Amino acid sequence: MTQSDKNSAGKSAAQQKSASQPTVAGQKRKRGANTSKLSLDARYESWLRHHRQVAVDSAERLIRHPVASILTMLAIAIALVLPAMLWLGLGSVRALDYDLDSSARVTVYMESGASAKQVSELADEIRNEQSVGSVKVITADEGLHEFQQALGVNDATSLLDANPLPATLLVTPKEREPGAVDALSRQLGELNGVDEARVDLEWLERLHDIGVLGQRLTLGLAVLFGLGVLLVVGNTIRLAVENRRKEIEVVTLIGATHAFVRRPFLYSGAWYGLGGGVLAVALLTLGRGWLSSPISALAQSYGSDYVMPALGFSGSLLLLICSILLGLLGAWIAVGRHLADIRAR
Amino acid sequence: MAIISFEHVGKRYGGRFEAVADLNFSIERGEMVFLTGHSGAGKSSVLKLLTCLERPSRGKVVVGGRDLNTLRNSQIPFYRRQIGVVFQDHQLLFDRTVFDNVALPLLIQGIPPQDAARRVRAALDKVGLLYREKALPIELSGGEQQRVGIARAVVNKPALLLADEPTGNLDPQLSADIMRLFEDFNRIGTTVLLASHDLALIARLRHRILRLRQGRLIADEEGA
Ligand SMILES: Nc1ncnc2c1ncn2[C@@H]1O[C@H](COP(=O)(O)OP(=O)(O)OP(=O)(O)O)[C@@H](O)[C@H]1O
Ligand SMILES: [Mg+2]
Repeated sequence: MTQSDKNSAGKSAAQQKSASQPTVAGQKRKRGANTSKLSLDARYESWLRHHRQVAVDSAERLIRHPVASILTMLAIAIALVLPAMLWLGLGSVRALDYDLDSSARVTVYMESGASAKQVSELADEIRNEQSVGSVKVITADEGLHEFQQALGVNDATSLLDANPLPATLLVTPKEREPGAVDALSRQLGELNGVDEARVDLEWLERLHDIGVLGQRLTLGLAVLFGLGVLLVVGNTIRLAVENRRKEIEVVTLIGATHAFVRRPFLYSGAWYGLGGGVLAVALLTLGRGWLSSPISALAQSYGSDYVMPALGFSGSLLLLICSILLGLLGAWIAVGRHLADIRAR
Repeated sequence: MAIISFEHVGKRYGGRFEAVADLNFSIERGEMVFLTGHSGAGKSSVLKLLTCLERPSRGKVVVGGRDLNTLRNSQIPFYRRQIGVVFQDHQLLFDRTVFDNVALPLLIQGIPPQDAARRVRAALDKVGLLYREKALPIELSGGEQQRVGIARAVVNKPALLLADEPTGNLDPQLSADIMRLFEDFNRIGTTVLLASHDLALIARLRHRILRLRQGRLIADEEGA
Protein backbone atom coordinates (compact mmCIF):
# COMPACT_ATOMS: atom_id res chain seq x y z
CA MET A 1 0.00 0.00 0.00
CA THR A 2 1.44 3.31 -0.97
CA GLN A 3 1.23 6.43 1.08
CA SER A 4 -1.48 8.03 -1.04
CA ASP A 5 -3.62 4.85 -1.01
CA LYS A 6 -3.55 4.90 2.74
CA ASN A 7 -4.63 8.49 2.82
CA SER A 8 -7.61 8.00 0.58
CA ALA A 9 -8.63 4.89 2.51
CA GLY A 10 -8.59 6.93 5.69
CA LYS A 11 -10.66 9.77 4.32
CA SER A 12 -14.12 8.65 5.40
CA ALA A 13 -12.92 8.16 8.95
CA ALA A 14 -11.19 11.51 8.82
CA GLN A 15 -14.36 13.22 7.67
CA GLN A 16 -16.30 11.81 10.58
CA LYS A 17 -13.63 13.08 12.88
CA SER A 18 -13.75 16.52 11.34
CA ALA A 19 -17.34 16.92 12.49
CA SER A 20 -16.21 17.19 16.08
CA GLN A 21 -13.67 19.89 15.34
CA PRO A 22 -14.33 23.51 14.54
CA THR A 23 -14.60 23.89 10.80
CA VAL A 24 -14.38 27.00 8.73
CA ALA A 25 -14.77 25.08 5.49
CA GLY A 26 -18.38 24.26 6.28
CA GLN A 27 -20.64 22.04 4.19
CA LYS A 28 -20.01 23.56 0.79
CA ARG A 29 -16.28 22.94 0.69
CA LYS A 30 -15.19 19.44 1.51
CA ARG A 31 -11.87 20.16 -0.14
CA GLY A 32 -10.45 21.81 2.93
CA ALA A 33 -11.51 18.93 5.13
CA ASN A 34 -9.93 16.35 2.86
CA THR A 35 -6.60 18.02 2.70
CA SER A 36 -6.17 18.97 6.33
CA LYS A 37 -7.45 15.84 8.07
CA LEU A 38 -5.56 12.57 8.20
CA SER A 39 -6.51 9.03 9.08
CA LEU A 40 -5.51 7.72 12.47
CA ASP A 41 -2.76 5.56 11.02
CA ALA A 42 -1.27 8.44 9.11
CA ARG A 43 -1.56 10.62 12.19
CA TYR A 44 0.40 8.12 14.25
CA GLU A 45 2.98 7.81 11.50
CA SER A 46 3.40 11.55 11.24
CA TRP A 47 3.58 11.84 15.00
CA LEU A 48 6.41 9.31 15.06
CA ARG A 49 8.09 11.04 12.13
CA HIS A 50 7.97 14.35 13.91
CA HIS A 51 9.40 12.84 17.08
CA ARG A 52 12.30 11.37 15.12
CA GLN A 53 12.90 14.65 13.32
CA VAL A 54 12.79 16.68 16.49
CA ALA A 55 15.02 14.24 18.38
CA VAL A 56 17.67 14.45 15.66
CA ASP A 57 17.25 18.18 15.21
CA SER A 58 17.61 19.00 18.89
CA ALA A 59 20.68 16.73 19.14
CA GLU A 60 22.17 18.60 16.18
CA ARG A 61 21.49 21.91 17.88
CA LEU A 62 23.49 20.73 20.90
CA ILE A 63 26.32 19.51 18.70
CA ARG A 64 26.42 22.86 16.91
CA HIS A 65 27.48 24.46 20.20
CA PRO A 66 29.72 21.74 21.62
CA VAL A 67 31.43 23.76 24.35
CA ALA A 68 28.25 25.22 25.80
CA SER A 69 26.56 21.82 25.65
CA ILE A 70 29.43 20.00 27.33
CA LEU A 71 29.59 22.64 30.07
CA THR A 72 25.89 22.22 30.80
CA MET A 73 26.25 18.46 30.85
CA LEU A 74 29.27 18.71 33.11
CA ALA A 75 27.34 20.88 35.55
CA ILE A 76 24.60 18.25 35.59
CA ALA A 77 27.17 15.47 36.03
CA ILE A 78 28.81 17.17 38.99
CA ALA A 79 25.44 17.70 40.63
CA LEU A 80 24.73 14.00 40.21
CA VAL A 81 28.08 12.63 41.39
CA LEU A 82 27.82 13.62 45.05
CA PRO A 83 24.46 12.06 45.87
CA ALA A 84 25.42 9.01 43.82
CA MET A 85 28.58 8.63 45.89
CA LEU A 86 26.65 8.90 49.15
CA TRP A 87 24.18 6.38 47.85
CA LEU A 88 27.01 3.97 47.09
CA GLY A 89 28.44 4.63 50.55
CA LEU A 90 25.09 3.79 52.07
CA GLY A 91 25.18 0.56 50.09
CA SER A 92 28.48 -0.37 51.65
CA VAL A 93 27.06 0.40 55.09
CA ARG A 94 24.31 -2.00 54.22
CA ALA A 95 27.00 -4.58 53.47
CA LEU A 96 27.77 -4.34 57.19
CA ASP A 97 24.20 -5.39 57.85
CA TYR A 98 25.49 -8.52 59.41
CA ASP A 99 26.70 -6.41 62.32
CA LEU A 100 23.31 -4.79 62.62
CA ASP A 101 21.64 -8.20 62.56
CA SER A 102 23.79 -9.61 65.29
CA SER A 103 23.40 -6.60 67.53
CA ALA A 104 19.64 -6.68 67.13
CA ARG A 105 19.70 -10.29 68.26
CA VAL A 106 18.05 -11.18 71.55
CA THR A 107 19.98 -13.72 73.60
CA VAL A 108 17.64 -15.91 75.65
CA TYR A 109 19.26 -17.78 78.54
CA MET A 110 17.38 -20.89 79.62
CA GLU A 111 17.19 -21.88 83.24
CA SER A 112 20.06 -24.26 83.87
CA GLY A 113 19.11 -27.89 83.93
CA ALA A 114 16.55 -27.59 81.17
CA SER A 115 16.40 -30.77 79.14
CA ALA A 116 17.16 -30.86 75.42
CA LYS A 117 13.47 -31.54 74.77
CA GLN A 118 12.37 -28.51 76.77
CA VAL A 119 14.88 -26.35 74.90
CA SER A 120 13.70 -27.40 71.46
CA GLU A 121 10.05 -27.03 72.45
CA LEU A 122 10.67 -23.51 73.66
CA ALA A 123 12.61 -22.73 70.47
CA ASP A 124 9.62 -23.89 68.41
CA GLU A 125 7.29 -21.80 70.50
CA ILE A 126 9.43 -18.70 69.94
CA ARG A 127 9.71 -19.40 66.23
CA ASN A 128 5.94 -19.19 65.99
CA GLU A 129 5.97 -15.62 67.30
CA GLN A 130 4.99 -13.08 64.66
CA SER A 131 7.86 -10.72 65.26
CA VAL A 132 10.53 -13.40 65.23
CA GLY A 133 12.64 -13.97 62.14
CA SER A 134 14.80 -16.92 63.13
CA VAL A 135 15.93 -18.81 66.20
CA LYS A 136 19.27 -20.49 66.66
CA VAL A 137 19.71 -23.00 69.47
CA ILE A 138 23.01 -23.29 71.30
CA THR A 139 22.85 -26.22 73.70
CA ALA A 140 24.76 -26.18 76.95
CA ASP A 141 27.40 -28.48 75.43
CA GLU A 142 27.87 -26.34 72.36
CA GLY A 143 28.10 -23.29 74.57
CA LEU A 144 30.80 -24.87 76.64
CA HIS A 145 32.69 -25.90 73.54
CA GLU A 146 32.65 -22.34 72.21
CA PHE A 147 33.69 -21.05 75.61
CA GLN A 148 36.65 -23.44 75.74
CA GLN A 149 37.73 -22.45 72.25
CA ALA A 150 37.53 -18.82 73.15
CA LEU A 151 39.67 -19.40 76.24
CA GLY A 152 42.05 -21.68 74.40
CA VAL A 153 41.59 -24.44 76.98
CA ASN A 154 40.96 -27.99 75.93
CA ASP A 155 39.06 -29.40 78.80
CA ALA A 156 37.64 -26.90 81.19
CA THR A 157 35.11 -29.40 82.53
CA SER A 158 37.90 -31.23 84.16
CA LEU A 159 38.12 -28.28 86.52
CA LEU A 160 34.40 -28.25 87.13
CA ASP A 161 31.94 -30.79 88.37
CA ALA A 162 29.34 -30.12 85.74
CA ASN A 163 28.65 -27.80 82.77
CA PRO A 164 27.72 -24.46 84.41
CA LEU A 165 26.43 -22.90 81.20
CA PRO A 166 22.72 -22.72 80.38
CA ALA A 167 21.37 -23.50 76.95
CA THR A 168 20.88 -20.31 74.96
CA LEU A 169 18.59 -19.31 72.11
CA LEU A 170 19.71 -16.62 69.66
CA VAL A 171 16.52 -14.92 68.48
CA THR A 172 16.74 -12.64 65.45
CA PRO A 173 13.73 -10.35 65.23
CA LYS A 174 12.12 -9.43 61.93
CA GLU A 175 12.18 -5.72 62.73
CA ARG A 176 15.39 -4.08 63.88
CA GLU A 177 13.65 -1.01 65.19
CA PRO A 178 14.99 -0.61 68.79
CA GLY A 179 11.57 -0.20 70.45
CA ALA A 180 10.25 -3.37 68.84
CA VAL A 181 13.37 -5.33 69.73
CA ASP A 182 13.13 -4.16 73.32
CA ALA A 183 9.48 -5.23 73.54
CA LEU A 184 10.35 -8.63 72.09
CA SER A 185 13.15 -9.04 74.55
CA ARG A 186 10.84 -8.31 77.51
CA GLN A 187 8.23 -10.69 76.16
CA LEU A 188 10.78 -13.48 75.79
CA GLY A 189 12.08 -12.88 79.31
CA GLU A 190 8.60 -13.64 80.70
CA LEU A 191 8.39 -17.08 79.07
CA ASN A 192 8.37 -20.21 81.21
CA GLY A 193 11.75 -21.87 81.51
CA VAL A 194 13.59 -18.70 80.54
CA ASP A 195 16.02 -17.27 82.98
CA GLU A 196 16.78 -14.03 81.21
CA ALA A 197 16.56 -12.37 77.81
CA ARG A 198 19.15 -9.78 76.85
CA VAL A 199 19.79 -7.34 74.06
CA ASP A 200 22.37 -4.60 73.67
CA LEU A 201 19.84 -1.82 73.16
CA GLU A 202 22.22 1.07 73.40
CA TRP A 203 24.42 -0.17 70.59
CA LEU A 204 21.40 -1.09 68.56
CA GLU A 205 19.94 2.36 68.98
CA ARG A 206 23.17 3.94 67.96
CA LEU A 207 23.45 1.85 64.82
CA HIS A 208 19.85 2.54 64.02
CA ASP A 209 20.35 6.28 64.37
CA ILE A 210 23.43 6.20 62.17
CA GLY A 211 21.48 4.33 59.53
CA VAL A 212 18.59 6.80 59.62
CA LEU A 213 21.00 9.73 59.53
CA GLY A 214 22.80 8.30 56.51
CA GLN A 215 19.56 7.74 54.67
CA ARG A 216 18.23 11.21 55.39
CA LEU A 217 21.51 12.81 54.47
CA THR A 218 21.55 10.99 51.16
CA LEU A 219 17.93 11.76 50.47
CA GLY A 220 18.33 15.41 51.43
CA LEU A 221 21.39 15.84 49.24
CA ALA A 222 19.77 13.94 46.39
CA VAL A 223 16.78 16.28 46.51
CA LEU A 224 19.00 19.34 46.77
CA PHE A 225 21.27 18.34 43.92
CA GLY A 226 18.32 17.09 41.88
CA LEU A 227 16.96 20.61 42.23
CA GLY A 228 20.37 21.82 41.07
CA VAL A 229 20.04 19.72 37.92
CA LEU A 230 16.56 21.14 37.33
CA LEU A 231 17.92 24.66 37.63
CA VAL A 232 20.83 24.01 35.27
CA VAL A 233 18.60 22.42 32.62
CA GLY A 234 15.81 24.94 33.21
CA ASN A 235 18.11 27.87 32.73
CA THR A 236 19.67 26.43 29.60
CA ILE A 237 16.27 25.66 28.10
CA ARG A 238 15.02 29.11 29.08
CA LEU A 239 17.77 30.62 26.95
CA ALA A 240 16.97 28.25 24.09
CA VAL A 241 13.31 29.25 24.26
CA GLU A 242 14.30 32.90 24.27
CA ASN A 243 16.46 32.33 21.18
CA ARG A 244 13.59 30.68 19.38
CA ARG A 245 10.88 33.03 20.59
CA LYS A 246 10.13 34.26 17.12
CA GLU A 247 9.75 30.74 15.81
CA ILE A 248 7.43 29.85 18.69
CA GLU A 249 5.26 32.87 18.01
CA VAL A 250 5.04 32.07 14.33
CA VAL A 251 4.17 28.40 14.70
CA THR A 252 1.62 29.23 17.38
CA LEU A 253 0.00 31.72 15.01
CA ILE A 254 -0.34 29.11 12.31
CA GLY A 255 -1.85 26.42 14.48
CA ALA A 256 0.86 24.59 16.41
CA THR A 257 -0.34 22.86 19.55
CA HIS A 258 1.46 23.28 22.88
CA ALA A 259 2.80 19.77 22.52
CA PHE A 260 4.34 20.68 19.17
CA VAL A 261 6.01 23.77 20.57
CA ARG A 262 7.22 22.01 23.67
CA ARG A 263 8.59 18.94 21.92
CA PRO A 264 12.00 20.19 20.70
CA PHE A 265 12.79 21.65 24.12
CA LEU A 266 11.81 18.45 25.92
CA TYR A 267 14.16 16.56 23.63
CA SER A 268 16.95 19.05 24.35
CA GLY A 269 16.33 18.58 28.08
CA ALA A 270 16.45 14.81 27.69
CA TRP A 271 19.68 15.02 25.70
CA TYR A 272 21.27 17.25 28.34
CA GLY A 273 20.12 14.78 30.99
CA LEU A 274 21.52 11.83 29.07
CA GLY A 275 24.84 13.59 28.46
CA GLY A 276 25.08 14.65 32.11
CA GLY A 277 24.23 11.13 33.25
CA VAL A 278 26.86 9.55 31.02
CA LEU A 279 29.47 12.02 32.29
CA ALA A 280 28.45 11.30 35.88
CA VAL A 281 28.85 7.55 35.35
CA ALA A 282 32.24 8.20 33.75
CA LEU A 283 33.33 10.43 36.65
CA LEU A 284 32.22 7.87 39.23
CA THR A 285 33.99 5.03 37.40
CA LEU A 286 37.19 7.06 37.01
CA GLY A 287 37.03 8.17 40.64
CA ARG A 288 36.58 4.62 41.82
CA GLY A 289 39.55 3.44 39.75
CA TRP A 290 41.62 6.24 41.22
CA LEU A 291 40.66 5.66 44.86
CA SER A 292 40.04 1.95 45.11
CA SER A 293 43.62 0.69 45.41
CA PRO A 294 44.70 3.04 48.25
CA ILE A 295 41.42 2.38 50.04
CA SER A 296 41.66 -1.40 49.90
CA ALA A 297 45.30 -1.17 50.98
CA LEU A 298 44.19 0.90 53.95
CA ALA A 299 41.36 -1.51 54.74
CA GLN A 300 43.71 -4.45 54.52
CA SER A 301 46.04 -2.91 57.07
CA TYR A 302 43.07 -2.96 59.45
CA GLY A 303 42.43 -6.59 58.57
CA SER A 304 39.30 -5.83 56.58
CA ASP A 305 38.61 -7.03 53.07
CA TYR A 306 36.53 -3.95 52.31
CA VAL A 307 36.14 -3.24 48.60
CA MET A 308 34.93 0.10 47.30
CA PRO A 309 31.40 -0.24 46.04
CA ALA A 310 30.93 0.07 42.26
CA LEU A 311 27.96 1.55 40.43
CA GLY A 312 27.45 -1.58 38.34
CA PHE A 313 25.14 -1.92 35.38
CA SER A 314 21.84 -1.41 37.18
CA GLY A 315 23.24 1.49 39.21
CA SER A 316 24.46 3.20 36.03
CA LEU A 317 21.12 2.61 34.36
CA LEU A 318 19.25 4.05 37.34
CA LEU A 319 21.51 7.11 37.37
CA LEU A 320 20.96 7.64 33.63
CA ILE A 321 17.20 7.29 33.95
CA CYS A 322 17.12 9.74 36.85
CA SER A 323 19.20 12.31 35.01
CA ILE A 324 17.12 12.00 31.82
CA LEU A 325 13.94 12.44 33.82
CA LEU A 326 15.41 15.45 35.61
CA GLY A 327 16.40 16.93 32.25
CA LEU A 328 12.89 16.40 30.89
CA LEU A 329 11.29 17.87 33.99
CA GLY A 330 13.59 20.90 33.98
CA ALA A 331 12.80 21.54 30.32
CA TRP A 332 9.08 21.05 30.90
CA ILE A 333 9.00 23.61 33.67
CA ALA A 334 11.11 26.14 31.77
CA VAL A 335 9.05 25.85 28.57
CA GLY A 336 5.76 25.90 30.43
CA ARG A 337 6.61 29.10 32.24
CA HIS A 338 7.92 30.69 29.09
CA LEU A 339 5.01 29.71 26.89
CA ALA A 340 2.59 31.40 29.26
CA ASP A 341 4.84 34.42 29.10
CA ILE A 342 4.97 34.54 25.30
CA ARG A 343 1.23 34.15 24.88
CA ALA A 344 0.65 36.96 27.32
CA ARG A 345 2.28 39.47 24.99
CA MET B 1 -24.73 31.36 5.51
CA ALA B 2 -22.10 33.94 6.28
CA ILE B 3 -18.59 32.67 6.84
CA ILE B 4 -17.84 35.54 9.24
CA SER B 5 -20.25 37.43 11.39
CA PHE B 6 -19.62 39.95 14.14
CA GLU B 7 -22.55 40.45 16.49
CA HIS B 8 -22.31 43.42 18.89
CA VAL B 9 -18.64 42.78 19.35
CA GLY B 10 -16.70 44.97 21.77
CA LYS B 11 -13.08 44.68 22.74
CA ARG B 12 -11.29 46.59 25.42
CA TYR B 13 -7.66 46.03 26.29
CA GLY B 14 -7.98 46.87 29.93
CA GLY B 15 -9.19 50.30 30.93
CA ARG B 16 -12.39 52.00 29.81
CA PHE B 17 -11.45 52.63 26.21
CA GLU B 18 -12.92 50.28 23.61
CA ALA B 19 -10.64 49.43 20.69
CA VAL B 20 -13.65 47.80 19.03
CA ALA B 21 -17.12 48.99 19.99
CA ASP B 22 -20.41 47.32 19.12
CA LEU B 23 -19.25 46.02 15.78
CA ASN B 24 -21.82 44.33 13.52
CA PHE B 25 -21.14 42.98 10.07
CA SER B 26 -21.06 39.76 8.17
CA ILE B 27 -19.10 38.44 5.22
CA GLU B 28 -20.44 35.81 2.83
CA ARG B 29 -18.46 32.92 1.47
CA GLY B 30 -16.41 33.83 -1.58
CA GLU B 31 -16.40 37.58 -0.88
CA MET B 32 -13.34 39.78 -0.99
CA VAL B 33 -13.54 42.56 1.58
CA PHE B 34 -11.25 45.40 2.62
CA LEU B 35 -11.12 46.62 6.16
CA THR B 36 -9.88 50.17 6.38
CA GLY B 37 -9.59 53.12 8.70
CA HIS B 38 -7.01 55.36 10.29
CA SER B 39 -4.26 54.08 12.46
CA GLY B 40 -5.74 52.87 15.73
CA ALA B 41 -9.21 52.42 14.23
CA GLY B 42 -9.22 48.76 15.25
CA LYS B 43 -8.36 46.90 12.02
CA SER B 44 -5.74 44.66 13.59
CA SER B 45 -8.02 44.10 16.56
CA VAL B 46 -10.71 42.72 14.27
CA LEU B 47 -8.21 40.31 12.72
CA LYS B 48 -6.90 39.29 16.15
CA LEU B 49 -10.43 38.48 17.22
CA LEU B 50 -10.80 36.34 14.09
CA THR B 51 -7.60 34.41 14.78
CA CYS B 52 -8.38 34.00 18.49
CA LEU B 53 -5.32 36.01 19.45
CA GLU B 54 -7.78 38.07 21.46
CA ARG B 55 -11.17 37.24 22.88
CA PRO B 56 -14.05 39.73 22.59
CA SER B 57 -15.02 41.59 25.75
CA ARG B 58 -18.64 41.33 24.66
CA GLY B 59 -20.72 40.10 21.75
CA LYS B 60 -19.73 37.18 19.62
CA VAL B 61 -17.63 36.40 16.58
CA VAL B 62 -18.95 33.54 14.50
CA VAL B 63 -16.74 31.90 11.89
CA GLY B 64 -18.00 29.05 9.71
CA GLY B 65 -21.03 28.71 11.96
CA ARG B 66 -18.95 28.37 15.08
CA ASP B 67 -19.09 30.92 17.89
CA LEU B 68 -15.43 31.53 18.71
CA ASN B 69 -16.33 32.13 22.35
CA THR B 70 -17.14 28.44 22.60
CA LEU B 71 -13.69 27.36 21.42
CA ARG B 72 -11.63 25.85 24.18
CA ASN B 73 -7.97 26.85 24.33
CA SER B 74 -6.96 23.38 23.23
CA GLN B 75 -9.12 23.72 20.10
CA ILE B 76 -7.65 27.03 18.99
CA PRO B 77 -4.65 25.49 17.15
CA PHE B 78 -7.01 23.29 15.11
CA TYR B 79 -9.20 26.28 14.36
CA ARG B 80 -6.21 28.35 13.22
CA ARG B 81 -5.11 25.61 10.82
CA GLN B 82 -8.25 26.26 8.81
CA ILE B 83 -7.61 29.92 8.13
CA GLY B 84 -4.69 31.40 6.25
CA VAL B 85 -3.12 34.51 7.75
CA VAL B 86 -0.75 36.96 6.06
CA PHE B 87 1.08 39.37 8.34
CA GLN B 88 2.35 42.85 7.65
CA ASP B 89 5.87 41.85 8.62
CA HIS B 90 5.31 38.45 6.97
CA GLN B 91 6.68 36.58 10.05
CA LEU B 92 9.04 34.33 8.12
CA LEU B 93 11.72 32.30 9.87
CA PHE B 94 15.05 33.54 8.65
CA ASP B 95 17.03 30.42 9.48
CA ARG B 96 14.93 28.29 7.12
CA THR B 97 14.67 28.16 3.38
CA VAL B 98 11.70 29.51 1.50
CA PHE B 99 10.54 25.94 0.98
CA ASP B 100 10.70 25.10 4.69
CA ASN B 101 8.90 28.30 5.62
CA VAL B 102 6.01 27.49 3.32
CA ALA B 103 6.01 23.88 4.52
CA LEU B 104 5.67 24.90 8.17
CA PRO B 105 1.85 24.70 8.43
CA LEU B 106 1.97 21.25 6.84
CA LEU B 107 4.73 20.13 9.20
CA ILE B 108 2.60 21.27 12.13
CA GLN B 109 -0.29 19.21 10.84
CA GLY B 110 1.87 16.16 10.23
CA ILE B 111 1.29 15.92 6.49
CA PRO B 112 3.57 13.24 4.96
CA PRO B 113 6.68 14.80 3.39
CA GLN B 114 6.04 13.83 -0.25
CA ASP B 115 2.51 15.14 -0.05
CA ALA B 116 3.73 18.30 1.66
CA ALA B 117 6.44 18.90 -0.93
CA ARG B 118 3.90 18.72 -3.73
CA ARG B 119 1.64 21.25 -2.04
CA VAL B 120 4.50 23.59 -1.13
CA ARG B 121 5.64 23.68 -4.74
CA ALA B 122 2.09 24.30 -5.92
CA ALA B 123 1.77 27.24 -3.50
CA LEU B 124 5.17 28.67 -4.45
CA ASP B 125 4.28 28.31 -8.10
CA LYS B 126 1.10 30.35 -7.56
CA VAL B 127 3.06 33.26 -6.12
CA GLY B 128 5.72 32.89 -8.81
CA LEU B 129 8.59 31.95 -6.52
CA LEU B 130 9.08 28.29 -7.28
CA TYR B 131 12.55 29.01 -8.61
CA ARG B 132 13.59 30.48 -5.23
CA GLU B 133 12.53 27.55 -3.07
CA LYS B 134 16.07 26.90 -1.82
CA ALA B 135 16.80 30.54 -1.01
CA LEU B 136 16.80 31.95 2.50
CA PRO B 137 14.23 34.72 3.13
CA ILE B 138 17.04 37.20 3.76
CA GLU B 139 18.13 36.78 0.13
CA LEU B 140 14.73 37.94 -1.13
CA SER B 141 13.31 41.41 -1.74
CA GLY B 142 10.51 42.74 0.48
CA GLY B 143 7.88 41.94 -2.12
CA GLU B 144 9.22 38.43 -2.56
CA GLN B 145 9.23 37.87 1.17
CA GLN B 146 5.64 38.98 1.33
CA ARG B 147 4.78 36.53 -1.44
CA VAL B 148 6.45 33.73 0.52
CA GLY B 149 4.24 34.73 3.46
CA ILE B 150 1.21 34.48 1.20
CA ALA B 151 2.30 31.08 -0.11
CA ARG B 152 2.56 29.90 3.48
CA ALA B 153 -0.94 31.20 4.22
CA VAL B 154 -2.51 29.40 1.27
CA VAL B 155 -0.48 26.18 1.27
CA ASN B 156 -3.22 24.54 3.31
CA LYS B 157 -5.96 25.69 0.90
CA PRO B 158 -7.89 27.57 3.56
CA ALA B 159 -11.48 28.63 2.90
CA LEU B 160 -10.71 31.93 4.60
CA LEU B 161 -7.70 34.14 4.04
CA LEU B 162 -6.94 37.05 6.39
CA ALA B 163 -4.26 39.66 5.78
CA ASP B 164 -3.12 42.55 7.97
CA GLU B 165 -1.47 45.34 5.93
CA PRO B 166 0.04 42.87 3.47
CA THR B 167 1.36 45.73 1.36
CA GLY B 168 2.51 47.89 4.25
CA ASN B 169 6.14 48.39 3.22
CA LEU B 170 5.85 47.87 -0.49
CA ASP B 171 6.00 50.35 -3.35
CA PRO B 172 2.76 50.91 -5.36
CA GLN B 173 3.77 48.59 -8.19
CA LEU B 174 4.55 45.70 -5.83
CA SER B 175 1.44 46.44 -3.79
CA ALA B 176 -0.69 46.13 -6.90
CA ASP B 177 0.99 42.80 -7.72
CA ILE B 178 0.28 41.47 -4.25
CA MET B 179 -3.34 42.59 -4.44
CA ARG B 180 -3.72 40.83 -7.76
CA LEU B 181 -2.49 37.67 -6.06
CA PHE B 182 -5.22 37.95 -3.42
CA GLU B 183 -7.77 38.51 -6.17
CA ASP B 184 -6.58 35.32 -7.85
CA PHE B 185 -7.20 33.33 -4.68
CA ASN B 186 -10.56 34.98 -4.28
CA ARG B 187 -11.48 34.02 -7.85
CA ILE B 188 -11.08 30.32 -7.02
CA GLY B 189 -13.49 30.61 -4.11
CA THR B 190 -11.39 31.71 -1.15
CA THR B 191 -12.99 34.32 1.10
CA VAL B 192 -10.50 37.16 1.61
CA LEU B 193 -10.52 39.79 4.35
CA LEU B 194 -7.78 42.36 4.00
CA ALA B 195 -6.89 45.17 6.40
CA SER B 196 -5.21 48.12 4.74
CA HIS B 197 -5.00 51.89 4.98
CA ASP B 198 -3.80 52.29 1.42
CA LEU B 199 -7.03 54.03 0.37
CA ALA B 200 -5.97 54.80 -3.18
CA LEU B 201 -5.14 51.19 -3.92
CA ILE B 202 -8.34 49.91 -2.30
CA ALA B 203 -10.50 52.35 -4.19
CA ARG B 204 -9.09 51.16 -7.51
CA LEU B 205 -9.86 47.55 -6.81
CA ARG B 206 -13.63 47.92 -6.41
CA HIS B 207 -14.33 45.37 -3.72
CA ARG B 208 -16.53 45.74 -0.69
CA ILE B 209 -15.02 48.10 1.90
CA LEU B 210 -15.67 48.20 5.64
CA ARG B 211 -14.58 51.52 7.15
CA LEU B 212 -13.77 51.71 10.83
CA ARG B 213 -13.37 54.76 13.02
CA GLN B 214 -12.51 54.44 16.68
CA GLY B 215 -13.63 50.85 16.71
CA ARG B 216 -16.99 51.49 15.06
CA LEU B 217 -18.18 50.64 11.59
CA ILE B 218 -18.86 53.96 9.86
CA ALA B 219 -19.41 52.71 6.31
CA ASP B 220 -20.02 49.45 4.49
CA GLU B 221 -19.55 50.10 0.78
CA GLU B 222 -20.51 47.43 -1.71
CA GLY B 223 -17.97 46.78 -4.43
CA ALA B 224 -18.68 47.44 -8.03
N1 LIG C 1 -2.44 44.63 23.06
C1 LIG C 1 -3.00 45.86 23.24
N2 LIG C 1 -3.03 46.43 24.47
C2 LIG C 1 -3.59 47.63 24.66
N3 LIG C 1 -4.13 48.37 23.70
C3 LIG C 1 -4.13 47.88 22.45
C4 LIG C 1 -3.55 46.60 22.16
N4 LIG C 1 -3.69 46.37 20.83
C5 LIG C 1 -4.31 47.45 20.33
N5 LIG C 1 -4.57 48.36 21.27
C6 LIG C 1 -5.26 49.63 21.09
O1 LIG C 1 -6.45 49.39 20.41
C7 LIG C 1 -6.68 50.38 19.42
C8 LIG C 1 -6.87 49.72 18.06
O2 LIG C 1 -5.65 49.11 17.68
P1 LIG C 1 -5.45 48.29 16.34
O3 LIG C 1 -4.10 47.71 16.37
O4 LIG C 1 -6.59 47.38 16.19
O5 LIG C 1 -5.55 49.46 15.25
P2 LIG C 1 -5.23 49.39 13.71
O6 LIG C 1 -6.45 49.88 13.04
O7 LIG C 1 -4.72 48.05 13.33
O8 LIG C 1 -4.09 50.47 13.58
P3 LIG C 1 -2.81 50.48 12.59
O9 LIG C 1 -3.30 50.94 11.28
O10 LIG C 1 -1.89 51.50 13.20
O11 LIG C 1 -2.24 49.11 12.55
C9 LIG C 1 -5.49 51.31 19.46
O12 LIG C 1 -5.86 52.46 20.15
C10 LIG C 1 -4.45 50.56 20.22
O13 LIG C 1 -3.70 51.44 21.01
MG1 LIG D 1 -2.85 47.30 12.62
